[in-house]
Amino acid sequence: MARLPLEGIRVLDFTWVVAGPVATRILADQGAEVIKLERKPGPLGPRQTGLQGDLHRNKRSIAVNMGTPRGVEIAKGLAQVSDIVMDNFSARVMRGWGMDFASLSQIKPDIICLSMSGLGHSGPRSNYVSYGPTLQALAGFTLLMADRNGEPAGYGYSYADMSGGYTGALAALMALWHRRRTGRGQFVDLSQFEAVVSVVGPALLDIAVNGREQSPPGYRSQESPAAPHGVYRCRPRGDDDDRWLAISVRSQAQWEGFVGAIGAPSWAYQAKFRTLYLRMRNSVELDANVSRWAADQEAESAMERLQRAGVAAGVVANGADICARDPQLRARDFWGMVPLPDSTTTHVTGIPMKLSATPGAIRTPSPVIGEANDYVLGELLGMSRAEREELVAEKAVWPI
Amino acid sequence: MNSGGALGGLRILDLSNSRGQLCGRLLADMGADVIKVEPPGGDAARRIGPFVDDAAHRDRSLFFWFYNLNKRSLTLDLKHPRGVEILLRLARGADLIIESFAPGAMDAMGLGWPVLHAANPALIMLSIAPFGQSGPYRDFDADDTVLAALGGMLYVNGWRGHAPVRPWGLQAYHSSAYYAAIATMCALFARDRDGTGQRIDLSMQEATAAAVEHVAGSYFGEGRVEPRRGTLHWSRYFRVGKCRDGYIMHCSLGDWTSLVEWVAGDGKAQDLTAPEWEDVQYRAVHAEHLFDVLDEWVAGYDRDELLERAQTLRLPYATVRNPEALFEDEQLRARGYFVEIEHPELGRNIRYAGAPYVFSDSPWSLRRRPPLTGEHTAEILRDELGLTVDEIAALAVEGII
Repeated sequence: MARLPLEGIRVLDFTWVVAGPVATRILADQGAEVIKLERKPGPLGPRQTGLQGDLHRNKRSIAVNMGTPRGVEIAKGLAQVSDIVMDNFSARVMRGWGMDFASLSQIKPDIICLSMSGLGHSGPRSNYVSYGPTLQALAGFTLLMADRNGEPAGYGYSYADMSGGYTGALAALMALWHRRRTGRGQFVDLSQFEAVVSVVGPALLDIAVNGREQSPPGYRSQESPAAPHGVYRCRPRGDDDDRWLAISVRSQAQWEGFVGAIGAPSWAYQAKFRTLYLRMRNSVELDANVSRWAADQEAESAMERLQRAGVAAGVVANGADICARDPQLRARDFWGMVPLPDSTTTHVTGIPMKLSATPGAIRTPSPVIGEANDYVLGELLGMSRAEREELVAEKAVWPI
Repeated sequence: MNSGGALGGLRILDLSNSRGQLCGRLLADMGADVIKVEPPGGDAARRIGPFVDDAAHRDRSLFFWFYNLNKRSLTLDLKHPRGVEILLRLARGADLIIESFAPGAMDAMGLGWPVLHAANPALIMLSIAPFGQSGPYRDFDADDTVLAALGGMLYVNGWRGHAPVRPWGLQAYHSSAYYAAIATMCALFARDRDGTGQRIDLSMQEATAAAVEHVAGSYFGEGRVEPRRGTLHWSRYFRVGKCRDGYIMHCSLGDWTSLVEWVAGDGKAQDLTAPEWEDVQYRAVHAEHLFDVLDEWVAGYDRDELLERAQTLRLPYATVRNPEALFEDEQLRARGYFVEIEHPELGRNIRYAGAPYVFSDSPWSLRRRPPLTGEHTAEILRDELGLTVDEIAALAVEGII
C-alpha cells in the first residue's frame, strides 16, 4: 500500500456527535493517527455499521474518565505526544480541564488546538446550545427549503454537520501546514454556525449588495439560466412509485438534443418554446409537457437517453440507488469496505477524492470503546502493565 | 503578497469553471496566490447573476465575485498554441493547477497530466469533474441540480408523496469544493515528503453522496432506504414548529426536565409528564406525537421570546430564520464575520461573508476584491515570466491575452 499523505500526524480527538467526527474521519482516512478520547465506558450500541461505522472507521479509541484527576493527566500526556487536539465543546469545557490552548501550549509549545464549537468561543451567543439542524435553521437553509406553499419541507438531515466537518478538516490541515513551515502551533476557533453560513453562496451578496429578500429557490436554476430545469416524476420501478428524473437544459444545442431524445413531439416545436428566454417565460406549460413525457419513462433509461443527446439529466437517487445500483459509483468503487472483528465486512461511505500517488485508505472498522487503551497508555505514554491496571482500578480509565 | 496566512507562498493556477471555483477561493482566503485564468472576454461565470443592481455586466456578477474573491485574473486564450505555451511556463512556477473541464479536455489542449508533470514534477493537478475521470458516466453533463439528484442529496428532502425539494445554494458544488481543498492539502503534505506532485481525481457525484449525512449509513447498516420526512430530521430529535410570528426548530435532546416543566407550567404538557418520556430514545420513537404536543405549546409564543427562554434553560432550540437576519445577527457581528472591502470602480464598499474560523497565528484575510476581467494579466506576465511591455502588447493585439 502506498504511504498515506498524513502518516506521522497524531490527532487527539475529543469530538462527538457528527461534525467533529466527520472532520477527524477525513484526517484518519488520509493516514493521520486519530485517537478518539471517549468519556464514557463501553459498550455503546452498534458502533461498526451504519452512520457510526462511517464516522469512526480508521480511528483508535481510549476510554478516559475526565471526571478524575488521573484521567485529565492522561489526556494531557496524550496532548504532549500529539500534533493537534480537536474538540467541539463550548469554550469552558476544555478550559475546565486545563486543556485549552493557553494551558496546553505551556507544556507543548507547538501544539495546535482546534475547537469546533457551535457558535464560536467569543460573542454574546457563544454559550448557545446547538446541533447541526438548529444551526442550519439559524442560517436560513431550513426556511428556504420550502414546498410549493412556501412552508418548510426539510431538511431531512443535517447539512450543517457536514459543512462543519469539512471546514474542520480543512482548518486542521491548514494549521498543520502552517506549523510545518514555521514551527508554530496556534489556536483555531471554528464556529460551525459560520461554517454553514459560509456555504450559502452568492445569495449572501445578493442580500448585502442588492438588498434582495431571498425566496425558496424551488427548481429555478441557481446558476446559468435553464429551462426545462427541475425534477419530473417517472414511471414506477416495480412497486416503487417514487421515481424522479432531474433535467437541466441550458443551451440551444441541448434543447435540440432534448427534443430529439424525447421523440420530437409537436408541442416542443411551438413558437413559445423556441428560445431559452421563451422557455423560461413559459416554464409552467413547458414543465407540464415534460412531466407528461416523463410519466411514461423509466428514470434510468430516460437519463441515459438524454445524456447521450448531450442533456444534463440524472435519476433522483435514493439510498438503494446510490449504495447499490448506480453504475458510475460502482465502476469507480466508491463505497468502502471494512473488515469487522467477526470476519464479516461492512460497507461504509468511501473517500470522494482519488489522489493518484497517495490515495487514502479505509483500513480498520470503528473501534470498540477503549480498543487502544493499552496502546495509548503503554506505548505512547510508557506506562507499565501495573500502572495501567491501577488506572482501571481507580476508574480513571475504563476497560475495553 | 504575503498575507501571513497559512498558505502564503503557494502559487495556484485556477482554470476552473463555475463548478469548481470555490476550491481556489478557500485556498486564496488562507493566503495562497491564486491566479484565475480566464479566456479573453472573461470567464463564463461572469455571465451568471445576480448582478450588482441587477445590471448584467461581466465585472458586476455577484456569482463570480463570491467564488473569486482574493484571486488575481489573467486572461489567456488556451485554444491558441501561444496561450498554452504561456500557461506551461506559468505552471513551471506553480504548486497547483485546478481545472474542471470535461474529462479529456486538458489533454486535447496539450495540457494533460503527462505534459504538466513533465514540465514541473512538483506540480499538483486537481481535476474536478461531475463524475470524475473514469467510469461509464465520465462524459455525462451535470449542473448542481443533476449532481444533487445523482448524489442522493435531493431524494431525502421534502414530503413523502410530493416532489423532492432542492437545497438553497449550489450545495453539490460546495461540498465538492471542500473535498477538493482538503485533497489539495493532503497532496501538499505528500509532496513535502515524497518530492513529487500528483493528480487528484475528484468526482462531484461522490463528494455529494458523501455529504448526505445518513443515507448510506441507513442503507448499509439497516438495509433501509431513507424516505422523505418533511421537516422531521432523520434522527427524529428535531422538527420545525410554528410560533405566532414564524417558525422554530424543536429539539428533544436537551434537558427534558426543564422542557417539560416549562410546557407543563403553560398548561400544555398533555401526556408528556409521564415518566417514559424521560428516555431520549422513547422520545425519538414517538417523535410525531411529541412534536404535535409541542407544536400546540409553541403556537402561543413569539419565536424570539421562545428562543431566549429555551437557551436560558440550555434547550437547543433555534429560530427558523430568513437569511436576511444574518446581517443583523449579534453573534456574527461580535465575531466580525462579515467584512467589507472597497470596490473603487463602483465607489462603494461591499460586505462579504468572512471566515468560519479564527486562526490565532495565521489569519484568514480579505486582501483584494474579486478581479476585473484580465486585471492582472500584464502584471503576471511581466513579474512571473519576464515579458516586456512590447511582448505583452503583441499578445494583446493577437487576441491571446
